[in-house]
Amino acid sequence: MSTVSVRYIVNDVDAAIAFYCQHLGFREEMHPAPAFAMLSRGDLRLVLVSPVGPDQRGGGSRPMPDGRKQEPGGWNRFMLEVSDLAGTVDAMRNEGVHFRNDIVTGVGGKQIMLDDPSGNPVEMFEPTRPEARLSIR
Amino acid sequence: MTPDPLDALRLPIVPVVPRLEFAAALLRRLEERERPRIRRTATVRYFVNDLDAAVAFYCQNLDFEEELRPSPVFTMLYRGDLRLLLSVPGGPGGAHTLPDGTVPEPGGWNRISLQVADLTATVDTLRDRGVLFRTDVAVGVGVTQILVQDPSGNLVELFEPRAGYHERAPAPGQGGSFG
Repeated sequence: MSTVSVRYIVNDVDAAIAFYCQHLGFREEMHPAPAFAMLSRGDLRLVLVSPVGPDQRGGGSRPMPDGRKQEPGGWNRFMLEVSDLAGTVDAMRNEGVHFRNDIVTGVGGKQIMLDDPSGNPVEMFEPTRPEARLSIR
Repeated sequence: MTPDPLDALRLPIVPVVPRLEFAAALLRRLEERERPRIRRTATVRYFVNDLDAAVAFYCQNLDFEEELRPSPVFTMLYRGDLRLLLSVPGGPGGAHTLPDGTVPEPGGWNRISLQVADLTATVDTLRDRGVLFRTDVAVGVGVTQILVQDPSGNLVELFEPRAGYHERAPAPGQGGSFG
């Protein structure tokens, strides 16, 4: 049973659900409040929250004690393994998905970064070395 | 004595030489069926300024294990079913500078959430070790949680489930994170 999840801050939870489910194969697990949804894809659990005020429910997206608000963006991201990166990217570009860069070749695989509707990055990679594969440790 | 008519149907008795390799291979195949080698793992990439400091932080405080460090600017850690890649900005591949010259950097608000059994005790232990927290323990709908800061300013959320916590049951025939 998964004991880990990833939390992304998004501006619009409904738009984010549509994006992750339509383009990246996620499934909606629950959406019990406008500012909170939980999606899953394999063993990855993705929690989507939109920033709420200090007095609202939703402990994960309230401002900090010093008043700083949580916001989308940054560079830290989760990664999804695909078997044909070039083909996947072509298909997703045709669907209007925005990519931050072009395919780059790294040490263990080829990869690319795309943006969700709030500007959060998602990395897709195609392993080129066996130890970089997700499915085998 | 009349010969048994069934003798014609009996197979000759051939001595069997024990073959250890065969037995070992059979056992291995059976074990693999019981415990598939395929392990699906969620993978997350964080950017850090100092790889050694980050590895020490995640391994000493948050129970990660270092799996491999093929270069001075990249390492792969594991914690249960989470694989955490740590990259130094500007390195090759995933840490690549963007075509417009933008260099990735640590920080932001997106984060991994790690489940712990006793949040209060965990927080006490980590505070004693000098770990920085960005919040106090906050009570949410399904969990109590707190935000930890790594040495580069990346966030890690620790949570303890409450009564309303939703845990999806594993698919039939699958146990834990194997699937």
